[in-house]
Amino acid sequence: MAHDHDHDHDHDHQDAPADAALRVKALETILARRGYIDQAEIDRMVDHFQNEVGPRNGAKVVAKAWTDPAYRKRLLDNATAAVAELGFSGRQGEHLIAIENTAKVHNLVVCTLCSCYPVPVLGLPPVWYKSFAYRSRAVIDPRGVLADFGLGIPDDVEVRVWDSTAELRYLVVPERPAGTEKLSEEQLAELVTRDSMIGTARASAPK
Amino acid sequence: MNGVHDMGGMHGFGPVLAEKNEPVFHETWEGRVFGMSGQLSRFGGNIDARRFAIEQIRPDRYLRLSYYERWFERALRYCVETGLISARERAAIDSGKAELDNTHVKVDRAPAPVHSDYARPLASTALFAVGERVRAKLINPTTHTRLPRYARGKIGVIIAEHGGHVFPDSNAIGKGEDPQRLYTVCFTARELWGDAANPNDTVSLDLWEPYLERV
Repeated sequence: MAHDHDHDHDHDHQDAPADAALRVKALETILARRGYIDQAEIDRMVDHFQNEVGPRNGAKVVAKAWTDPAYRKRLLDNATAAVAELGFSGRQGEHLIAIENTAKVHNLVVCTLCSCYPVPVLGLPPVWYKSFAYRSRAVIDPRGVLADFGLGIPDDVEVRVWDSTAELRYLVVPERPAGTEKLSEEQLAELVTRDSMIGTARASAPK
Repeated sequence: MNGVHDMGGMHGFGPVLAEKNEPVFHETWEGRVFGMSGQLSRFGGNIDARRFAIEQIRPDRYLRLSYYERWFERALRYCVETGLISARERAAIDSGKAELDNTHVKVDRAPAPVHSDYARPLASTALFAVGERVRAKLINPTTHTRLPRYARGKIGVIIAEHGGHVFPDSNAIGKGEDPQRLYTVCFTARELWGDAANPNDTVSLDLWEPYLERV
């Protein structure tokens, strides 16, 4: 390859690509200098997904469904509209479907082909959701995957796996834990974890 | 395409390892790739074409790259293909340098807003009804499809109908949205994986009408 005389030769990996951080920075710099992208907008996107959108949104939806039977019905009938009532909407959430866990049914959501995820209610997916282990096994061995998360499901409970192959995005409504009758909606939302809305956990028990 | 991305049912990737208190982005560059990709989508293409681009990363390489490394590879390829950057700039980027190629002609295209509602009303009537048994066709397209291998040739029951949606197989390869009716089809775990599967378990997939046939 062409020799770069400005380069400080402190290593012998001339042909190896530079590390990801440098390559990404180089692309970003070129695109920004040409005016194709706005770096401040990237800052805002990163901040938005780090600080504004996340599973707390979904937790509010679930807690409301637990406490308000009319809302629960609207959520199960048309999740996109019911979620929008709480002010949550946006890309990867245009066609939301809520699926409810019961004593007899446990739901688990996966995207085997890529990593589709209900972003407006859960934020960006965790690494494990995008992992090859999860994508490959959730459909063929869902009970084994649940065991990896420490969740044992009795044999007579139906495990329903939802492979998100289209633009429909699934939100699991976990079962409301016992002993939470006196909790407020805000206190209930604290019990609703991200994993409980994917189906790899139950909602937390009250403290 | 029968790529390694279609990994439902594969063995050998080990247990699912969850990280406690995981950050949204593990490295700063991951957030930059994420943000850049969002803005680049305004220069053309669509979600199906973007998925197809990831699927076309060679299987051995796909398996070596992390999620956002795959996104970055796609972004680079997209920038070269659309002429946003030159081949010379791409080579410089590979070695971590932001060297502008002054001979490169700037693409004069106004970024367009991205529409992300995929429902499209259809005038036609539904071919299948909720409750009907259907077979997922045995197909092996070399281009993008959202019918995973593990469901092909298998029989399931339609449990929901969602009206018309953009058809990925067409949209991904520049042949237009060609909206088709979308259904949720529920398969028993035994139909998909054999008698060792729990008889109570099911897997549901969202499948477009052209993927389905009468039993």
